Amino acid sequence: MKIVVCAKLAPDASDIEIRSDGSISLERAEWRIGSFDLQAIEAAVRLRDTHSGSVTALSVGPQRINHSKLRKDLLSRGPDELVLVTEDALNGADTAVTAQVLAAAVRKIGSVDLVLTGEGSADLYFQQVGLQLGELLAVPVFNAVSKIEVNGSTVRIERSLEEEIEVLELPLPAVLAVTTDIHQPRLPNMKEILLAAKKPVFEWSLADLELENAPESRVEAVSLRAPRPVERKRILIEGSPEEAAQALTGYLVKEGLA
Amino acid sequence: MDFRWTEEQELLIQSLEELLQREAPETLMAELDARHEFPFKPWQALADNGILALGIPEEYGGVPADITTLTLVCETLGKYALPLGIIYSLGIITIRDIIQFGSEEIKAEVLGGFVRGDLPVALGITEPQAGSDAAAMKATAQIDGDDVIFNGQKMYCTLAKIAKYILLMTRDSQGANPYASISMWLLPTDTPGLRFNILNKVGWWTVPTYEVFIENARVPRKNLVGQFNSGWPQLMANFEIERLALCAASVGAAEAALEDSLSYANRRVQFGNPIGSYQAVQHILTDMAIKNENMRNYIYKVAWMMDQGQSVRHEHAMCKLYVARAACEVTDSAVQIMGGLGYMMDHRVQRLWRDIRLMRIGGGTDEIMYNIAGPQLLKHARKS
Repeated sequence: MKIVVCAKLAPDASDIEIRSDGSISLERAEWRIGSFDLQAIEAAVRLRDTHSGSVTALSVGPQRINHSKLRKDLLSRGPDELVLVTEDALNGADTAVTAQVLAAAVRKIGSVDLVLTGEGSADLYFQQVGLQLGELLAVPVFNAVSKIEVNGSTVRIERSLEEEIEVLELPLPAVLAVTTDIHQPRLPNMKEILLAAKKPVFEWSLADLELENAPESRVEAVSLRAPRPVERKRILIEGSPEEAAQALTGYLVKEGLA
Repeated sequence: MDFRWTEEQELLIQSLEELLQREAPETLMAELDARHEFPFKPWQALADNGILALGIPEEYGGVPADITTLTLVCETLGKYALPLGIIYSLGIITIRDIIQFGSEEIKAEVLGGFVRGDLPVALGITEPQAGSDAAAMKATAQIDGDDVIFNGQKMYCTLAKIAKYILLMTRDSQGANPYASISMWLLPTDTPGLRFNILNKVGWWTVPTYEVFIENARVPRKNLVGQFNSGWPQLMANFEIERLALCAASVGAAEAALEDSLSYANRRVQFGNPIGSYQAVQHILTDMAIKNENMRNYIYKVAWMMDQGQSVRHEHAMCKLYVARAACEVTDSAVQIMGGLGYMMDHRVQRLWRDIRLMRIGGGTDEIMYNIAGPQLLKHARKS
């Protein structure tokens, strides 16, 4: 079976610097594979290992993601090949633009049986791209998928909902957004890291894709600010458990939190 | 001069850091230390993730890795889980001796097992009367047909009882020159005639060290590693990399000690301010950071020289001497910065402090490092 796994390459949140005016600097941040996408990669590679076939990793973004270390990092985790769609216009793309470009890329890859995504991107975490991608490809699409079993031309999935596990059977092709507990991602070893440099990488621009219209972002980022640090109130609540609970509730109501 | 790591090295170390956080978290390492238990599970995790395969020939399941990469691995192990760095470093000398001098049969058995998670081969060299003067050893190997019979006593034989093998050094008492009368053998630790007595140490509580009594222990003669009576030069061939590996693990431990100290100095409030705001504390922290930087540069330089095939005869000894001392100073400063908390068994820095102290003794004492480096420096000066 042919599996495409989508992975967002984004600045590492732990490297974000907050300037004195509250604005956020990503200049020194190292770019990494989105932490939620690592589970999707692991799920794709395990399905490939069980059912044979191939895994194509797919990422879209600004030119910056076309970096040899990022490419090796992705490929060392098990995919057979990598498709990168890069264009600086895709920097900060909203979910609709990202989904349109991914859909066009999946069509160009062709004959894809299954597309997997993480549950959300590591930087913005809108949890929208997988669902929009399925809609654009006009195939069954589900999120919150915690188990996948492929049986010929169908796939049986489990979805972790708030109070139940939903079990569904879908025809392939399909798009599935997996949860973080589907599998623990593997850690690449030196053999896989060395092998990664030898795997094929296809570099496409937007012009290489058959897009009906140039995708335009529908979201305008007005400003991005870190929350202002607030001094801890250091309130010590004393008294019996009942009194303490009542006092705590009072404070929470006063702060508008309850 | 390019100080950057290769992308492959960066990815490997990132992967190893994540592995250690998953499989050898500080809470687990502290528990194992308190219980004096060997870290079997984390060690197996290193094997399962290909770390033990690094530098082992591919035909035995290994993956090529240069000495700089192995140094980075030891440093990372030392930083996140020092006992793993120690075990790995101790294994480097015996495993490399097997690679270089072992028969095909020995290599397939020992190297294949190591890659799959066997403990390193223990080194049986020191004896009660033969410490730094290792050539004064008395353990004997008596050839008996196709077998060899060992007798003697080994001291400070780390891992001996729990490892599968000891790389045993014996002395031919008939040889006039002790350095040309030593042989190297692979001795299975389940051989009848071996008795082990565990030794209580100040540190290295998860890495057990034994006294080994050997009485008429019989093994096949084919367990000879390398050439008869060539054990000394064979052993010396890989002492340099063992010392470098121990240095790298020590640097990792010093980095951990500095991180703990910086974090504490930012958090701990005394006289209304974090203690890090006081110059007295800043000076200690800065000295620690400078030593760490110097240590790191030294080990990378020696590793690079070895990768270039250059001799590090006196450089490795000076590096070991400097790093062992500086790492002791840095971990001691960490205890000082953290005050009473640093001296409590609950905190990591006391463990680093206890464990690092042995680095000035094990793998060659400070004094022996002077003995190696000094004459070499003078020899070079005479040449130039």
